[in-house]
Amino acid sequence: MKSEYKIPFILAWKHIMRANKWTLSLIIFFMSIAFINMIFVPSLFNGIIDGFNQQIINTSTGNIFITPRGGQDTIPDSDNIVSEITKISGVAAASAELLVPGTLNYEGKKGSWTINAINPDDEKMVTNVSQKMIEGSYLDVSDIDQIILGQGIAGTGNDESNFSPFDLQGVKVGDTISVTFGAVSHELTVKGIFRTKFDSTDNNAFITQETFKKINPQYAHEATKIIAKIHTEGEENIVIGRLDALNLPGNIYSWEQASNLMNSVSDSFISINVILSIFGILIAAITVFIVIYIDISTRRQEIGILRAIGIKPYLIQTTYIILSAIYSVAGVMLGTGLFFAIIIPYFNFHPFVLPIADAKLLVAPGDFIARMETLIWVAIIAGLIPAIVITRTKLLQAIWGSK
Amino acid sequence: MAKQTPTGQTIIEVKNITKTYHLGEVRVPALTGVSLVIQHGEFIIITGRNGSGKSTLLRQLGLLDNPDQGSIFLEKVEVSKISEKERANIRLNKLGYIFQEYALIAELTALENVMLPAMMLQPIKAIRPRAISLLSKVGLDKKINNLPRQLSGGEQQKVAIARALINEPTVLFADEPTANLDSIAAKDVLTVFKKLNQEDGVTIVMITHEEEETLYGHRVIKLADGLIV
Repeated sequence: MKSEYKIPFILAWKHIMRANKWTLSLIIFFMSIAFINMIFVPSLFNGIIDGFNQQIINTSTGNIFITPRGGQDTIPDSDNIVSEITKISGVAAASAELLVPGTLNYEGKKGSWTINAINPDDEKMVTNVSQKMIEGSYLDVSDIDQIILGQGIAGTGNDESNFSPFDLQGVKVGDTISVTFGAVSHELTVKGIFRTKFDSTDNNAFITQETFKKINPQYAHEATKIIAKIHTEGEENIVIGRLDALNLPGNIYSWEQASNLMNSVSDSFISINVILSIFGILIAAITVFIVIYIDISTRRQEIGILRAIGIKPYLIQTTYIILSAIYSVAGVMLGTGLFFAIIIPYFNFHPFVLPIADAKLLVAPGDFIARMETLIWVAIIAGLIPAIVITRTKLLQAIWGSK
Repeated sequence: MAKQTPTGQTIIEVKNITKTYHLGEVRVPALTGVSLVIQHGEFIIITGRNGSGKSTLLRQLGLLDNPDQGSIFLEKVEVSKISEKERANIRLNKLGYIFQEYALIAELTALENVMLPAMMLQPIKAIRPRAISLLSKVGLDKKINNLPRQLSGGEQQKVAIARALINEPTVLFADEPTANLDSIAAKDVLTVFKKLNQEDGVTIVMITHEEEETLYGHRVIKLADGLIV
């Protein structure tokens, strides 16, 4: 290695090691804040989108769901199908659901909702509704004539801020309500009330298959939907391929195909994320550019001296490229440390509470690497530009400013 | 110490150079037709009042700036019309320049400051003994690892002298090297110059305001209003 090639590395390293520690710390801190700004917004939107998706998976469809074939209202022999599905590699659990429309009546207040007949033991393994009880408790498999209601059905009673004329306006655990399926009515006791924050689930009620069998025996062993949880998210299509081989009497879908509405919400969030990310990157880039530009510009005289003693311009420029790269890499490292050690844990404990889901911060590796590269390149360019300008100005002007 | 040019041989010849600065719309003539010859081994003192053109002349000689008109020859090669790249190469190989404000790199030690220009030409291992020897010669052998901020003004100027000498220049230029020093430090620096000139044959061109410092030189060139008087 020619001796002159070492000059930029030596100069940059000495600058870092012997520069004013406060100035150096401040520059790196600014870099880290700029980097956090670049990754915070996409992480938040990833978190919101992931929150939506988890709501769909955990409260409604599982990772995979099966619906009746065209022309059929139900999937027959659902107990055996659930049993077969759970034996498939990659499937963690499955549950049959029989969704039937019903009219609920409580002290003259009534409305029509979907009543979901389930095996609570199976359902607990696939959905997390059992963990979202805000009053009372979840169903047991042996429960007869008991019902749990989503908050969208139960309502909040006298709480005027959430009053709705379309719910049962304050049904409490232990109350008795009347349920009508077609021409058949039945009295059920409210065992619990749940709130998942996912509207389509919170407007459901659950009863046990045994209860429904008692009211409508002709639907025993039938399901309108079978939902399955898999061991590894993202492998839905692999598992669907295995389920296809079973030739089940139903259509098999992944959770992503469940709701066009949620897909369009996700698409909208992705668009907003892209727009905000562009602004975030722009602001961070400008901040980084200004910080580096000022730092290098204040070294104008030093650059002039280096030129005066015969150091070649490309070596001087390389010095400040290395210096800028070191600043930015240090900023990225500090920013990453702060983000993963403080900010993410904080929002894990204090998630953003949204009407449809609680959103945490979720870092996508691709986003993270792209923003890291952006920051480093911006810093390098910000260091290179003033270095080029100063090495091309008249030597006396570089050293003394105006002569 | 200096690259060998026979004593008495012309090193620099300046022919009728002019230089005018432009401060906004105001033209300030700094040199209005200066000619001079510098022989090898000379210790030349340039004096004159503020604004007389001393520093402008030295910067033209040291290839830090270009004259508007006229020619400068270094060892019979015209250097006043060459590219910045070529001038940088000559500054590195043949000229040493000492600034009034020391102009050291703040984050480098005395030794590293001295070694820096030589790293362009030789491996670091080969330079180090020479840099230490030069610092020893200017009396800083105990402070080679000090940063500039840990040195006095006189000591910093001595580091600048050692740095200017590291590539064995043909000529050493010094722009008021004692202006920021107390009288003891100034005398110390001038003694170093005198030794370099007398013992090592280094050609020196130095600017000073101080009348008593002219005694160190072989020849005094006095400038007034951009002309040698």
